Amino acid sequence: MKEHHALIDGLKALPAADQRLLKSCIAAALAALLLGVVFGAATALARGGFVELGPLTGYRSMTAHAVSIFFYWLYFAQAGLLLVFATVFTSHRHGIEWRWAAWLGLALMLAGFAASLFGVSSGTPLLYDAPPELGREPSAALGATYVGYLLLAAGLFCVATAGIATTVAPLARGEHDRMPVVSFAACAWAGLLMVSAIAAANAFLPSALWALGLRGAPAEYATGWHILFHNMHYLPLMATVLVWYVLVEALTGVKSIFGARFSKIVFALYLVFVPPTSLYHMFLEPNLTEAVRVAGSLLSLFISVPTVTVFLVIVASLEVHARAHGAKGLFGWIGMLPWRNPAMSAIGFAVVNLALGGALSFVLIQEKLAALLSDTFFVPGYFHFLTVGTVTLTFLAALLYVLPALTGRPLWRPEVLRWMPHLASAGLALFGGAGIAAGYAGVPRRVLEVSYDGAAPAAWTALMSVVGSGGALMTAALLVYVYALLRNLMPLGTAAPAGGEALPEVRWGEVVTGAQRAWSGPLAVTILVGLTVAFTMLAFELMRALPLTAGAGAVH
Amino acid sequence: MHRVTRHAPGHGGADGAAPGDQGDTQHRHFTARRGFVAAAGFGMVGVYFLWAGYGAAPLGFDGGHEAPAEDGRGAAPEPSSAGHAGHGAAASGSSSEEFRKLSEAFVEQNKLADGSVQPGRAMQDHAMHGAAPQGPVDVYLMAYQWGYAPSVLRLETGVPYRFRMMAVDVAHGASLQLGRAGRMVRLRPGTQVEQALTFSQPGEYLLYCTVYCGLAHDRMQGRVIVSMREAQS
Repeated sequence: MKEHHALIDGLKALPAADQRLLKSCIAAALAALLLGVVFGAATALARGGFVELGPLTGYRSMTAHAVSIFFYWLYFAQAGLLLVFATVFTSHRHGIEWRWAAWLGLALMLAGFAASLFGVSSGTPLLYDAPPELGREPSAALGATYVGYLLLAAGLFCVATAGIATTVAPLARGEHDRMPVVSFAACAWAGLLMVSAIAAANAFLPSALWALGLRGAPAEYATGWHILFHNMHYLPLMATVLVWYVLVEALTGVKSIFGARFSKIVFALYLVFVPPTSLYHMFLEPNLTEAVRVAGSLLSLFISVPTVTVFLVIVASLEVHARAHGAKGLFGWIGMLPWRNPAMSAIGFAVVNLALGGALSFVLIQEKLAALLSDTFFVPGYFHFLTVGTVTLTFLAALLYVLPALTGRPLWRPEVLRWMPHLASAGLALFGGAGIAAGYAGVPRRVLEVSYDGAAPAAWTALMSVVGSGGALMTAALLVYVYALLRNLMPLGTAAPAGGEALPEVRWGEVVTGAQRAWSGPLAVTILVGLTVAFTMLAFELMRALPLTAGAGAVH
Repeated sequence: MHRVTRHAPGHGGADGAAPGDQGDTQHRHFTARRGFVAAAGFGMVGVYFLWAGYGAAPLGFDGGHEAPAEDGRGAAPEPSSAGHAGHGAAASGSSSEEFRKLSEAFVEQNKLADGSVQPGRAMQDHAMHGAAPQGPVDVYLMAYQWGYAPSVLRLETGVPYRFRMMAVDVAHGASLQLGRAGRMVRLRPGTQVEQALTFSQPGEYLLYCTVYCGLAHDRMQGRVIVSMREAQS
């Protein structure tokens, strides 16, 4: 008998107009991912010394990579997944409320993407934070850069509006007396998207008006950027843990053993903990006072709370059910998960990569270490564990489930796709491992060449070669994913050979649970804390060993 | 006897209607209870104790005294700027143009024949031979697209220097490669940053920009050559 499957059954039951909208969001996301990956490969290979791009092409590639991935791939994907979760788990019979707003939002985001790409390809490379001072004078390219970001923000606001309307409409209609967990989380996610859209308007509108010749140069840009950036880089993480929450049930049939209210509280914690913790991005800013830096460090200690708690909820629920299903030993239950399913493989590696990225990110929240690490390659070294190894793998895992349900076509070669997280993570280990070592050594980020006419240590160039090699491996894995998903979206050539076979899953949801222990989660947190302590101690010891003594001075 | 829960597959995560959503039972293993999970979710906050151990957090293990300087050794004796740090930007300061003039005057006064700059040279010419400088020696460092002025600094070990730094066009960084690691500051146009530095080992150190500043960003560099201070007579 066919298993009931909330995600897939809900997607298949959506109105055709909603399915078209969701497929359009996914197509836009894949286009952005493809562009971002290609430009990322060019940047990594140039940085590794494997290709010579020159400064103009090299920095344009770096800008296009970051803009396409950070602003557009992650946000087109979020737009699609937000609407999926908002509608499938709320009321898939009614579909997406205010669909016109979602279409408008997608159109605005696409227009923003086009404007951003024009800005990248025609002006001075500004990198993705685009400080106006680097542009020097108003120009069409500068205007396109900021208008592109504003269009993206407006589009996100519209999509989030449709998402919230979809989650609350059944309550208004009296169909539900309370919001389901995933709908609640989607509603909170949409709320944070709206906050970020407003923060984007705050950051970019003055610069856009200046770039279009409508006002003078903005006096302050960095603070607005940092506030926006902080929200924008935590939003994908919130989306990631929600995807895990949904996919784990899809893959195993297991729901949280802690109850709906607890899960809702944990998801709501993102609204509490994310906005106040933005200060750590600014520790090197000369005007930031010591008191603010200390407060920033202390507040940032709490940034991991919602993510770690959701992780514990998922892992404990899985472990308890697996043990009730006969799992033996401390980690025997992990081997019982459906690893041949490419989505399971992807989120499994995403969890490991999140632990590494999270442990490394905690080194940067200590303000005393900013002078050692803040603008070094440590930063891209750690955040690729999160952007590629965690968020992108998770979003791709979700798309591997969502897209075939929308198109009705089987997934291309799942037996190949299940190995892609291995390949991507191997590349990430090279990229991130060498990148972190380079960061500790002081190698700057955002440069194309690090020899400094032979004055830099020889190890810098060698480490960048490893970074480039790792980037190439990550690129290969992501291109395979893009090919598989595009092929599903737009079938090319002969039909996919999978023959419509269901992807491997387990069904543990019906099992009776009792007093099974769940040690894996707390052990993982212990390892996470241990890694953080080790990485932080290394940074402190390196600072102690510097051949100089430094004291803070005044800022005038 | 354990109370058991049964979960029905279905609606995307635990829902209020499912029996399993009654939440914890007292008979669950403690690792599978809400309170334990909620507490473990704060596990990473424990890193605070490591910070405190290094004296890098308020209420550290050093008795709650002021946190040490960024290198973890304890703050260097602060020159005349002591007390300003942590109090934000001063009400007044040099503009970029004023700083440029100060920096050019500093270079002119302390320039050696090979074009490098030895801070305190002018002062030493008038002081007793070999005597240690009274107070910190001022160093002006100007960052611009795409270089530093002065581009080569000659310093001595054990001498306290007060670096006064500013970017005069766009934002720049000033990072010193000091062997196994580096040390950096971020510089914004119109904001003068001061930092007290005392070198303990001789060497030729690379000075480089760590804030993207345009197409020649990775060419922006200088040198800080630190020699051993000669024994005093």
